[in-house]
Amino acid sequence: MQKIPLMQAKAGMVLARDVFRGDSSTVMPICGKDTVLTDDLIKRLDQMDVQSVSVQGHPVWEEGELSYEDLLRELDRRFEKTMQDPLNSILYDVHKAQLIRSMEGDSGR
Amino acid sequence: MEDKRSALKKIILDTKTLPTLPGVISKLNSLSDNDKASVQEMAKIVSSDQVLSARILRLANSPSYGFYRVSTISNALILLGVNVVKSLALSSSIFAIMEKNSVGLWEHSLGVGVAANLMSRKLGLSECEEIATAALLHDIGKVIISLKCTDAEMEILRIVRDRRIYILEAEHEVIETDHAEVGGWLAKSWFLPDKLSEPITFHHDVAKSESHRIKTSVVHIADVLIKACGFGNSGDCYVPRIQQVAWDTLNLNEQILSEVVGEIEDKLVDVKNFSLEMIGA
Repeated sequence: MQKIPLMQAKAGMVLARDVFRGDSSTVMPICGKDTVLTDDLIKRLDQMDVQSVSVQGHPVWEEGELSYEDLLRELDRRFEKTMQDPLNSILYDVHKAQLIRSMEGDSGR
Repeated sequence: MEDKRSALKKIILDTKTLPTLPGVISKLNSLSDNDKASVQEMAKIVSSDQVLSARILRLANSPSYGFYRVSTISNALILLGVNVVKSLALSSSIFAIMEKNSVGLWEHSLGVGVAANLMSRKLGLSECEEIATAALLHDIGKVIISLKCTDAEMEILRIVRDRRIYILEAEHEVIETDHAEVGGWLAKSWFLPDKLSEPITFHHDVAKSESHRIKTSVVHIADVLIKACGFGNSGDCYVPRIQQVAWDTLNLNEQILSEVVGEIEDKLVDVKNFSLEMIGA
């Protein structure tokens, strides 16, 4: 799953999460997860002040954005001093699981 | 050993060159001691300084607090409380420097503010806004060191780069103190309440925090979480060791940690946008 600014959303992308109006997330969703985006729908979301959407997979690669292997290497580097510590190793595992999920389709929500 | 440290303390707390304390604050201080002061009266005083009001409102609308569209000073006073607005007023001149000169540290601070806020809500703690504010200010000592001891700061960063050690260790080698203690001095000299100054002073040594250990624990863990995400730049890239005392104080477990990390990752996109907007403005 990837969270992207609405500006980068394209027809054909699939929503990984419900979309709410721009100013709150407590009311009913205006568009459900698993919906396939169309140009019309993106325009409507824009009119409703939606700033960003979460879509399945990882469709947008920005310049300078790191690959999964690079991200994992960076994560290892950040934890190089504390990996052996039991509490930090819990946190490391949480992050690694998160990283794997972010590269895959579903978010569970 | 003591000499270098106390000389430094003197330089840092030299009021003539300390970021200015807006006159509005002393008025606000005298008012809020008097219990009968109304929010309207206080809002009127703050609003008389337009630049300051604008800065407070920008910070009040930052993702660290999770309120959107706080549009007036009296709303900010009601939603965030007098203490928070006062410390935002105090720190806004420091933040103004941070936004321009050290974007990385600014993003780190905003991120820790967000993480602390999410975590204190998840744990059902009271005074979430105060905790978020302490988190936003936790590295303020680094800004002061950079302002007042530019050469020492360069030496510190060089050591971190060359020897791949924590910035805290490098600070002890070069200035015989660290950014947490320096931040604590500053907080005291501004008469910030203990619930803000304690987390700032002890965010690297939670066991020393006595009266506000819960708040200090949240700021410590939030700092660790943001460094684990690799968000912003706080001088070194290494995740600090999670202190057992903080973990126990907050009764954390893997489940809570995993939920909070997920929520943080989600929110960091907003934080990035917010900081880009502020720098662009």
